[in-house]
Amino acid sequence: MECELFENLLSPYLEDELTAEERLAVEEHLESCADCSVLFDLMRETQESLADFPQAEMSEKFLERLYEIPQRKRKFRLSLDFLGRPALQPYMAAATILLTVMSFYLFHPEKSAIDKSINRQVHLGYSKIGKLYSEAETFTTSLGEHKDNILDTVKRKQPFGRNGD
Amino acid sequence: MLVNTYSRRIFSLAYQFSGTREEAEDMTQEIFLKLYNSLKKFDFSRNFDAWLLTLARNHLIDEYRRTKWEKKTRDEFNEYSLKETTEIGPEDAALREETKKRVWEGFNHLSADIRMTIILRDIQGKKYEEVAEIMDLPLGTIKSRVNRGRIQLAKVLKEQKEKENGM
Repeated sequence: MECELFENLLSPYLEDELTAEERLAVEEHLESCADCSVLFDLMRETQESLADFPQAEMSEKFLERLYEIPQRKRKFRLSLDFLGRPALQPYMAAATILLTVMSFYLFHPEKSAIDKSINRQVHLGYSKIGKLYSEAETFTTSLGEHKDNILDTVKRKQPFGRNGD
Repeated sequence: MLVNTYSRRIFSLAYQFSGTREEAEDMTQEIFLKLYNSLKKFDFSRNFDAWLLTLARNHLIDEYRRTKWEKKTRDEFNEYSLKETTEIGPEDAALREETKKRVWEGFNHLSADIRMTIILRDIQGKKYEEVAEIMDLPLGTIKSRVNRGRIQLAKVLKEQKEKENGM
């Protein structure tokens, strides 16, 4: 337990960041504890070794690949530039919505049930239109039959104020 | 030019972190691509070096977590080009190289966060405050991670030495 506490002080001790009192306590512990003393020596060895690590060298070929990145990026951007035009934004938005709706329909787990329902609705629509058409036809025929009566009534009523006075 | 100024630093960081030249090259390329894509977002009141290193750190740690590099072996240390150390004798130089080799292999025992902290502080020689800015963590956390990382590496060295001495 005591060793664990001192372990936390080893880096600050190595970097001279402790108060005089803490420093003395660490030194006393290192003198009395062989394990911590070995660990501290290895820690110093590790730190010195790390400080002496070199920067890695890159190959010329790799460096050339890095230089090419902005050019590759520019070519790519040119080819897709037209997609960023503001005039296309409403069309892009509409296409996105359409694709979203389409994907909901195409990948829905009950797609066949949706298809059936659409078919039924279309047929219902057709039959309603047919009904309306036949009703309109009946109305036209009955209007033709009563044409004389209607004209006679209109003439007698004089709806535009020419009723003889 | 950005490549001239920063490529070596970024490549070194990626190599020290990943341990293989192939991974380091891939990562460096990806970091530069990200850099060009995010340059517009850079706030010029900030320190560019710290910003770039933060971007690199994020990319490396994210990739590490995604691909689990720790399962892979690192390149042999002698492939890694060393600084010429002229002031010391050949025996000391051999001993130092041996320690470096062990430390290099010991990186695989460190977690991604501790590994990155140790690289920034002890290899790249950043101040604790700079490491805290790059890692986006409090100073106290960084100091504690550096201490933990050094202790873990020291323990790895100890184990390796004991194995070699047949203990």
